[in-house]
Amino acid sequence: MATNLPTGLISHTRKVQSLYKRAVRNLESWHEYRDIFRYHATILRKRFDDNKQVDMITAKQLISEGEDELFSQIHYAPAKFPESPGGVAYEREVTPPDWVVDYWHPLEKAQYPEYFARREQRKKEFIKLWEQQYGKSTAGHH
Amino acid sequence: MSCIIRNIRSFTKRATYLRCASSKLHTFTEYGNGLVPQSLDNKSKRFLEATATTQFRFYSPDVIKPKPTVEEIKDRVLRVVASYDKVTADKLTLDSHFINDLGLDSLDHVEVIMAMEDEFGFEIPDMDAERLLRPADIVRYVADKEDIYE
Repeated sequence: MATNLPTGLISHTRKVQSLYKRAVRNLESWHEYRDIFRYHATILRKRFDDNKQVDMITAKQLISEGEDELFSQIHYAPAKFPESPGGVAYEREVTPPDWVVDYWHPLEKAQYPEYFARREQRKKEFIKLWEQQYGKSTAGHH
Repeated sequence: MSCIIRNIRSFTKRATYLRCASSKLHTFTEYGNGLVPQSLDNKSKRFLEATATTQFRFYSPDVIKPKPTVEEIKDRVLRVVASYDKVTADKLTLDSHFINDLGLDSLDHVEVIMAMEDEFGFEIPDMDAERLLRPADIVRYVADKEDIYE
């Protein structure tokens, strides 16, 4: 997914958070019953909390060990939210963005004259609002 | 003569079809009126009622999903945060910072975000989660995701 591409430096805190979240979700996939899952999740939390005050070198090593451990115990069919990346209904309904309407053929647009007249008016109002808020655009045309 | 007999035969056959069809319809209307057999448990009763009265297409784009209002989202977010055991509910407002005001650490924040995912049923990527530091931010994020505007 585009959101998972490495686009910059990731802080240590976020690495730990990410590892913790994936580990908990992995436990959730393995344990069907909520109480048993909570038991194991609490133990996991304790393991993270025990290493709160370690120096950076040990912390880095612990993260890589944790990643390896998670990889070795990863679930074969992890539970995913249906409409999120990896889920069964991901991108099942694709809503076309609003600007698609601007690229209709003039003949198609002519079939809805009222709507497109109002749309043009709205665009002008939006540009006016934008300029009021942020000032005139200095960039030229592309 | 044989022709007439054949006609009569086919008519009787059709009559049985008709009878079958009418009895089927009858059972369905019974379900529709809420006369569901008492032996069923509540879940299957509700399913039968739903299928008999309205033809409902589960998980279909034809179904327009009801959207919550912003007020409802605020309610749900606050309830989820309040139910997290490390948060003291009397200090909690929409603008209280999870880490500075409520005294949670970074892993508690992850747990709160995961509770939000479970509540609203979609994944919140890490990149977005690190910016959601107040309940108000989460409300805004969920409303944007569900395409709800005031």
